Amino acid sequence: MSSEPAQQETKPLRLFFREAVARAVREEMARDPKVLLMGQDVGSFGGSYREFDGVYGEFGPDRVRDTPVAEPASVGIAAGVAAAGFRPLTVITYMDFLMLGFDALINYAAKLRYKSAGKLTAPMVVKTTAGAQGQGVAHSQCIEAWLISVPGLAVVAPSTPADAYGLMKSALRHDGPVVYMDHKKLFPTPGNLDREEHVVPFGKAAIRQEGTDVTLTCHSYMVRVALQAAEALAEEGISVEVIDLRSLAPLDIDTLVASVEKTGKLLTLEEGQVTCGVGVEVATRIFEAVGYRPWKRLGALPAPVSSNPVLEAECIPDAEQVIESIRVLVRG
Amino acid sequence: MFYQLTVPAAVPGVEEIRILEWHGEPGEAFESGDLIVELETHKAVVEVRAGQAGVLREIKAEEGDWAEIGVVLAMFADSADEAAPDGTAGDLTVEFEVT
Repeated sequence: MSSEPAQQETKPLRLFFREAVARAVREEMARDPKVLLMGQDVGSFGGSYREFDGVYGEFGPDRVRDTPVAEPASVGIAAGVAAAGFRPLTVITYMDFLMLGFDALINYAAKLRYKSAGKLTAPMVVKTTAGAQGQGVAHSQCIEAWLISVPGLAVVAPSTPADAYGLMKSALRHDGPVVYMDHKKLFPTPGNLDREEHVVPFGKAAIRQEGTDVTLTCHSYMVRVALQAAEALAEEGISVEVIDLRSLAPLDIDTLVASVEKTGKLLTLEEGQVTCGVGVEVATRIFEAVGYRPWKRLGALPAPVSSNPVLEAECIPDAEQVIESIRVLVRG
Repeated sequence: MFYQLTVPAAVPGVEEIRILEWHGEPGEAFESGDLIVELETHKAVVEVRAGQAGVLREIKAEEGDWAEIGVVLAMFADSADEAAPDGTAGDLTVEFEVT
């Protein structure tokens, strides 16, 4: 199980999320000897979510290093080796603990190009996993909205194995720091990939479903929730355009603006907090271009995510809430 | 009698598995407790063992194939020469272990 199983060429290449990540990392490490991997359990264990299965065996201890539970050091060392010319991928198992790495990430890596008048850059990727799945207040958060306001920092959030692959490849080629976030609830479901090697560029959203009555923006696991809601609303005669942002910084403003020009209404959906959230930024940027339109935002309640499953579910947006919000937006 | 082996709902949140390895071929007899097939999820391997004696008659999904929960993977019968029924078969009793 150290690599993907052989599949006949006639069948689609169907992979688990973790296998899509491993495929991208292996290809980029083979392509560029400056790409390094470091983090908790990324070595012979193959990653906390087995997303680096086979990487240690292929590239060995010179390029794959286990690190202790020391997030400031994991991010700080990555920033240093990036400044020295390498392309480290450093792994923070839970996004909550990325907070410990903010100094190196934000004060050093994201500002290095500016501070050195373009002489140095920090081409590093921090891969981390967000989202609520029964693990309580400090292992459930989505804090991507805190990061998209940092000049010099790219933030991407795949929702499918295909985008996990394509965005990881772009991240490892990007000439500056990138936060790459996935979500625990995305891991059980496989998806199809193109067999040909390819990248998914930053700043390019994906229209997951075309629609005419309302634009619904989302990212990461909330794309699944959005599509569920859109399917139910179609039966009521409400046509929802579902846009998977994929890249939060930079945002694909052109696609967002074109959609809202068409539909005239907007619901922004995220699993994190709505205050100063991704949705606020999405709406503001759209309205700067087309003028104000009816808009609702949906996200977590302003409360910590409980480890009690009933309270956790109460805190996080679900398809029912999306459906209700869109009914109000469309029908008034 | 004929019995069908379907993908068990062995791991919460998992809707689709990949067939990792069959441990027998059509015509082979299984005793209760014998390993029939290993199924792969995103983080675990599910060992599916016979919960009753029987003969494997037909494999409907190859190693490397994907199958959703409830999809028929194989047919079993009480004997090797029994004719297949026209209608649907009952479910094979199985035990599974998640490792």
